[in-house]
Amino acid sequence: MKRRQGWLFFIIFLLTLSVYLLINYPLQLGLDLQGGSQLTLQIIKDEGNVTRDELEAVNSVIDKRVNNLGVSESNLQTLGGDQLILELPGEQNPLVASRVLGKTALLEFRTQKEGTSTDLKTLQLQRLSIKELIEQYSFEEKNQNNDNFIKVIQDDLKDIEQELNYSSTSNDLYGKLIEIKKYVDKEITNLFIKTDLSGKDLINAGRRQEQTNSNWEVLLTFSNSGGEKFAEITKSIAGTNQLLAIILDGESISEASVGNQFASTGITGGSATISGNFSAENARELEVQLKGGSLPLPIEIVETNTIGALLGSKNILKSLYAAISGLIFVGVFMIFNYRILGFVSVLSLVLYGFLNLALYSLIPVTLTLPGISGLILSIGMAVDANILIFERIREELYDGNTLTRSIDSGFQRANSSIVDGHITTLLSCFVLFLLGTNFVKGFAATLGIGVLISLFTSLNCSKTILRFFTTYQSLRQKNLYLPKNNFSN
Amino acid sequence: MKYNLELIKNKRKIISFSTFLILLSLLGILYSTFNTSYKKPINLGMDFVGGNELRIERVCEEECSNLSPDSVLENLREISSNKNFINNIKLQFQNNNKLISIRTPYLSIEESNNLITNLDNIIGPLNYESKDSRLIGPKLGKRLLTNCITSLLVSLFAISLYITIRFDKKYALFALLALFHDLLIVFGIFSWLGIILSVEVNSLFAVSLLTIAGYSVNDTVVIFDRIRENLKSKEEGYNETIQLSVNESFRRTTFTSITTLIPLLSIILFGSYSLFWFSLALSLGIIVGSYSSILLAPSLLLKD
Repeated sequence: MKRRQGWLFFIIFLLTLSVYLLINYPLQLGLDLQGGSQLTLQIIKDEGNVTRDELEAVNSVIDKRVNNLGVSESNLQTLGGDQLILELPGEQNPLVASRVLGKTALLEFRTQKEGTSTDLKTLQLQRLSIKELIEQYSFEEKNQNNDNFIKVIQDDLKDIEQELNYSSTSNDLYGKLIEIKKYVDKEITNLFIKTDLSGKDLINAGRRQEQTNSNWEVLLTFSNSGGEKFAEITKSIAGTNQLLAIILDGESISEASVGNQFASTGITGGSATISGNFSAENARELEVQLKGGSLPLPIEIVETNTIGALLGSKNILKSLYAAISGLIFVGVFMIFNYRILGFVSVLSLVLYGFLNLALYSLIPVTLTLPGISGLILSIGMAVDANILIFERIREELYDGNTLTRSIDSGFQRANSSIVDGHITTLLSCFVLFLLGTNFVKGFAATLGIGVLISLFTSLNCSKTILRFFTTYQSLRQKNLYLPKNNFSN
Repeated sequence: MKYNLELIKNKRKIISFSTFLILLSLLGILYSTFNTSYKKPINLGMDFVGGNELRIERVCEEECSNLSPDSVLENLREISSNKNFINNIKLQFQNNNKLISIRTPYLSIEESNNLITNLDNIIGPLNYESKDSRLIGPKLGKRLLTNCITSLLVSLFAISLYITIRFDKKYALFALLALFHDLLIVFGIFSWLGIILSVEVNSLFAVSLLTIAGYSVNDTVVIFDRIRENLKSKEEGYNETIQLSVNESFRRTTFTSITTLIPLLSIILFGSYSLFWFSLALSLGIIVGSYSSILLAPSLLLKD
């Protein structure tokens, strides 16, 4: 009996501890409960698997970019070896994040091949006209297009294709325009020779508004060795008609000549500016990408979930109703069928609930909708064990055994089949947790934790509480344990 | 209270009933594979095929005005730049015209934002706080599908292994038979739901199948345990002992099923809509699972 009292204190201690934990370490809510966006980024690798190092490298670049974007409380984690999950809580638009994160941002500095000046000029003109066509297309689309202008654009496009001696394969007009633009970009890039200066040589990037107009420019600051390389490169082409191109992800974003005055030393000072036609937004995006460095492997955004804050709080409320009504109905069912025993199981269920929640805040487990359904489902399963035990106790009582004896052997005999029965559920949870997606993991985690805790609460706690009750003479009448009409049976 | 299920007498009926259910499920699966628009054994949802799903509420003074989906689509078609996806769009009004739910093929975030802006122009104002938007790329969908199938196979294998180790061959075989019976019927019901109500299955459906597997085996294990225990100690004949064991464990099996069903019903009634079909699948699984544990699996053990 003494040992049991020790257990009773231990249980009370656990209960206090859980309440303390829950007050001081609030539960982490998933995005479906608090609102926000979740982006799944897939690393693209054509051959072989993504290695751990590559995953790490991509992760750190994305992490830097996210930090430089200044989104608050974002959370980045890896998933399954080649995916990353970015969570943006609150009403933050995932659009900007997706634009900044999705680009490889491979920055190259290239010098023009000798004797390609005329080729470059033609291509530059073609690039300009295709850009205009694209703008025109988007503008007309927004303002109720008519077939006339489409015809004009189609004809213009055909002219350019003829000049290029290349025909596009896309189905729709917009696709064709983009395809031709990519082709021109590639052709331009091909006129330049790679140098050993790249985005890796940057130590910082910034932006400022140009003084002459409202466009923005992006400032690059090189490391010491990068600055030397830049001086070397500019020196080599200074005063010639070869241009220096700054190329981002295969697209030349700036082609500039280097004046004769740099012929002896090159451009020193370790910095450069890119002045294309950047808007404030574009300049900022490029700045963030350059600061974070280029991605070692390209990524693709394969999933975006956005949930409004209002919907999130509605979800919390609904889950709360579901959990509480579930608990109440289960409690009523148990007390109706098992009297005092049922009451004991309700007490251990309450403890069960607190222990679960406390563990969630301790581990921590982020609570999501599937997670909550796992918890609610595990309430039902936690009672299962109690039912097994109580049925055994009833049988013992029917056989004419004393209350204490019945309780003891009830717990003893049900023990093995309870442990046994939980194993299959745990097996399923384990597999789900290993192989499942983020959402599924939440369910597996709460159900699994629940099943484990219920082993403790339904075996140990209910026994302790029951033993405590039976120390009172008035609570030891058999009819408090068996429904009266059945007792005569 | 003693229960008296006449298992021996009704063996034939039980087995015929189960066979009937299985055939009905297979029929649904076959029909769905060959005759419906999706050509799959079950209507795969966005999780598995990729796409864009958007639910958003309108802001209305009192009652939201009645709108026909067709006219909204017509308007959308006029102002959208990408004509292609408009043709594959599905639009529904729910909740007294308040809630709009839209399915389209996969869109980029930018395109999805444009769609919402366009919608706002046509039927706005919209309550952005109530937005629920999911974009899933087709690549990810395929991957999720293989992932789910692997999880199912792996855990079925693990459970089978566990049962074979724990029981001797005959018991293991029938417990597994009951398990596959349960899964097939739940799968079949959702095939039919897909055909009739276009209900889609998502990754949570796979989760529910896995949970059902764990739960159903658990129930069968308890009854088989009782049978083995009684076969050792009781003097009655083999068939009678099985029937007795089933009746002895009837109460506990139905009770545990009821206590598991109660919380699930609470989720169905009060919980978030995203958990509705999930909880329904689980509930069905638990009902079918209890039936197969109490009646089917022990009937299979009976000798003629």
